[in-house]
Amino acid sequence: MNLTQQVINGLVLGSGYALVAIGWTVLLGAARLVNFAHGQLYMLAAFLAWAAMQKLGVSYFVAVPLSVLALGLLGVALQGMMQRLVMQQNLTSLMIVTLGFGYVIQGSAARIFGGDPQTFASPLEKASVHLGELWFTWQDVVTLVGTLLLFGVLWLVLNRTRLGALVRSVAEDPKLAQLFGINAAQVYIGVFVFECAAVALGAGLVAPRSPILASMGFDEVILTFVVVVLGGIGSVGGSLLAGFGLGMFTALFGALVSPAYTTAAAFLVLLTVLVVRPGGLAAR
Amino acid sequence: MTDSLEAIGITVRYGGNVAVDGIDVAVPAGRMVGMVGANGAGKSTLINAIAGWSRGTPVVRGEVRLAGQKMDGLPPHRRAERGLVLVPEGKGIFAELTVMENLALVRPPADTRGRHAFSMDDIFTLFPRLAERRGHKGRMLSGGERQMVAVSRALRAAPAVLLLDEPSAGLAPRLVHELLTTMRGLVDRGLSLLLVEQNARATLELVDELYLLERGKVVAREAASDMKDDPRILEAYLGNLTA
Ligand SMILES: Nc1ncnc2c1ncn2[C@@H]1O[C@H](COP(=O)(O)OP(=O)(O)OP(=O)(O)O)[C@@H](O)[C@H]1O
Ligand SMILES: [Mg+2]
Repeated sequence: MNLTQQVINGLVLGSGYALVAIGWTVLLGAARLVNFAHGQLYMLAAFLAWAAMQKLGVSYFVAVPLSVLALGLLGVALQGMMQRLVMQQNLTSLMIVTLGFGYVIQGSAARIFGGDPQTFASPLEKASVHLGELWFTWQDVVTLVGTLLLFGVLWLVLNRTRLGALVRSVAEDPKLAQLFGINAAQVYIGVFVFECAAVALGAGLVAPRSPILASMGFDEVILTFVVVVLGGIGSVGGSLLAGFGLGMFTALFGALVSPAYTTAAAFLVLLTVLVVRPGGLAAR
Repeated sequence: MTDSLEAIGITVRYGGNVAVDGIDVAVPAGRMVGMVGANGAGKSTLINAIAGWSRGTPVVRGEVRLAGQKMDGLPPHRRAERGLVLVPEGKGIFAELTVMENLALVRPPADTRGRHAFSMDDIFTLFPRLAERRGHKGRMLSGGERQMVAVSRALRAAPAVLLLDEPSAGLAPRLVHELLTTMRGLVDRGLSLLLVEQNARATLELVDELYLLERGKVVAREAASDMKDDPRILEAYLGNLTA
């Protein structure tokens, strides 16, 4: 085993985990909301980008932004339907309702796109870089750099701008925010749209690694939970750290032990961390 | 003398429970009106209803006028834009935001005719301690500092009438005195203030008029100087403090 190569693999995997999870981190942390259709949104975004390339004949670089845009709009629609539940912060009902959305999205996708695996190809996936023994693709580079950029910008917006203060104020106390003239409903819509758009970007960058299926999404949402909880719920920096940690662990565990048990092993790590640090890695 | 704030026939129900029962309140321009009463008398319910805000889901009836303008049906931030600003009881600031972030959440309204728009400099002159704490998060502040931030936030909104619900809860007597004296100074410069206060002595010394509430009704309303001799006040209110 080449250790440096596994570290590179781990970083690439980890940036993908973090990128797919970031929407959930913000949704839960900044708005105290959940969306259990997250995995199916990932699947849908991949298929929309794929369909745009197949049916509209646009390039990968146009298809991904289109799918990000489409998911953002879907976010507005979903949030509109759940408005009352969201304003009441009724998490149990939101869980059931979003799980339901997930199934509806999955069924519709199977109906429209069929049950066969499809190849959602990125030209960057074929452009590889060889450095001596080491090997990676330009897709890997873009995913890693894109993730770091997105997390950096997101952290700055949340912590250093008035918009970020607005989002945090609603997360902490929507009633009090109302006294300040802050429209909590608008903030919730914004955060939900971000979640949908971010998972679409994640799908655009990560999904080309393997064939896409209308039935996928479960693994993605499970790994998202691990990242969000491991990172400390709502912590942007923690999620990035947790994503990389999980990626590194998966790569090394896969290489040293067996790729077949990595999810089980990842949960073992999660449980261990939570026993030692109940608040996650970023806990104060 | 014109009244800055007039609330007429305010009735507030929580389900079947009438918490405020047909109360009239008037705050004349440039005056400080105090409101006292036992726990559960309905003070917070009333002052929140005037501001159009609540943490619960009360049913409110009655009329609220600010300088003659009807406020009924307006959400709290629309009332604040017109100059009717509330500092609610208890938690009035965001613990996860810094002092500056808390204050910057307020956008001073565009039209502040006849109202004093407090700049950040004004605020830090009024509460020098906040200047040193500006980068601290709400949860790192002392109770007194939190109240200063809550009041400052209201001042940033350029209030014509300020509604203050127990700003001194949990503060040391010296701080209470300091805070209320500061508020009195603002009133002397033109602000109208409705103050709910448990701290009887400090309140009586500073307010122009006092309302005594009992079980959702006003049972006494007098100039503060007269209230000092009112046996009902002495018993219901000062009693537990002189003890
Ligand atoms: N959110 C709510 N839901 C239901 N009932 C409420 C609610 N808030 C207050 N009440 C009831 O309304 C009545 C008046 O309460 P309120 O908080 O106005 O009293 P208060 O005079 O401010 O008391 P304190 O001095 O303790 O602050 C009480 O009987 C209380 O139980
Ligand atoms: Mg009260």
